[in-house]
Amino acid sequence: MMINRDKTFKTALFICAAASALATLLIFGFLLVFGLPLFKGGQFFLLLGRPWAPGQGMYGFLPMIAGTAAISLLSLVVAFPISLGVSFFLHSLAPAALGKILKRLVQFMTGVPTVIYGFIGVFLLVPLIREMFENGSGMCVLSASLMLGLLISPTMILFFSDGFAAVDKKYIQAARALGATRVQTLLFVVLPNAWRGLMTGLIMALGRAMGDTLIALMIAGNAVNVPSSLLDPARTLTSHIALVSAADYHSMEFKSIFACGVTLYLLNAAAVIAIRRFGAVGKDKAHV
Amino acid sequence: MDNSIIKITDLHFSYNGLKVLKGVTHSFEKNTLTAITGPSGKGKSTFLTTLNRLWEDVPGAALQGCVELKIAEKWRDVYASSMDIAALRRMVGMVFQIPNPLPMSIFRNMAFPLKLAGVKEKDQVQAKVQEALERAFLWDEVKDRLHSSALELSGGQQQRLCIARALILEPMVLLFDEPTSSLDYQAAGMIEDLLVSLKESCTVLMVSHYLDQVSRIADSRLELADGKLLLSNISR
Repeated sequence: MMINRDKTFKTALFICAAASALATLLIFGFLLVFGLPLFKGGQFFLLLGRPWAPGQGMYGFLPMIAGTAAISLLSLVVAFPISLGVSFFLHSLAPAALGKILKRLVQFMTGVPTVIYGFIGVFLLVPLIREMFENGSGMCVLSASLMLGLLISPTMILFFSDGFAAVDKKYIQAARALGATRVQTLLFVVLPNAWRGLMTGLIMALGRAMGDTLIALMIAGNAVNVPSSLLDPARTLTSHIALVSAADYHSMEFKSIFACGVTLYLLNAAAVIAIRRFGAVGKDKAHV
Repeated sequence: MDNSIIKITDLHFSYNGLKVLKGVTHSFEKNTLTAITGPSGKGKSTFLTTLNRLWEDVPGAALQGCVELKIAEKWRDVYASSMDIAALRRMVGMVFQIPNPLPMSIFRNMAFPLKLAGVKEKDQVQAKVQEALERAFLWDEVKDRLHSSALELSGGQQQRLCIARALILEPMVLLFDEPTSSLDYQAAGMIEDLLVSLKESCTVLMVSHYLDQVSRIADSRLELADGKLLLSNISR
């Protein structure tokens, strides 16, 4: 009886896992099928380089790839040290009561709708950047990256904190008994052994940064140029898809957004693979 | 002549309001091996951590009383605000019930306390690593695989590695919390020999449940009962 129940449970879990994998493949397939007219005859690769000028029959989205890469990577650069610091504080330095309140606050922040961050960006950050640098409208790569950094930090903090909490307590006890300070324990014992949590946090945060539409749409400026400075406006792949999706359903312009989706999908996958590879190398080095 | 190295006066300890130690007063002599026995869960391990302040990492714990350590022939209050906790833990080393090598190589495990203490000179580190491993009777078994993971060692070897790691800092006092309880008979025997040899260079306090082990290696036995330490006989 028990064996049968176990088997049913295992089968149910397998179905859930298979459905999840299938959904991912179906989404990719869906994007490929709808973008088919542009993939025929190798046009897809032209799209990666050409400028975006639908009036002249050019549907390239290199500026959007550059915008996505610049904004999401910069947001990661902003969010990583903040998240690491907050996670360190929560794990080892904060008094228990304060730590609990802070963690609740961070959990709450993960649930704040993106549009709220967008509003704060439009009404607070953009004017600030505009006045500080006196160069352009303030709607630029820097504004979007800072706000996106704030958006992805709570996700990173929660994954980092869980990674730190999963480190075997006996390692921490060993280090403390040998005279390690709390900071030394964090740097030499907790951090190297929380590698998996750190990598997962980075991947999740990068995925969220690359996939976010609203913040870039509201405060990045949406110019179809490859940005050459942090104060240049830029357009990301996601905000480009959102902007172009209002075009005529049968137009080439509309069909190009599916190719855009495939590119975003592949960029995301490449970033995840890169982080995993880097993570595996870092983990090996940390443990020799 | 007073040969004491640790002096404890009216020590009280509670955990979340539960009184664990109730006015412990005792002195420990230099270069002796004292066994602390008593029922499980009555505060023997906690007592050890009051000597190196390791209990301070536990939320909800509170201590009252005085613990003094004789450093360079002067009594120093372990709980004085001027006491450097890291330095204290280098002088009062501790080895735990479950061997706890860090998930790194044997060499890096050994060099870790030196790194914390700021010792950087490579030759000095290597010499100290070898010396400590030799004192823990482990050098011959690991000298050809110092850069292998410490987690690949057997339980007994891991425990000897932890002892060697504590010895590398040349502590005045070494605390052992049931150091053989997770080991087989043969490995436990090696640890016992090692503990006896350590008396030459430091003072050893050991929590143990095994009275036969206590009778084999300890100079004196203290029974922790009802929050107090009582001197007990050793039957040889």
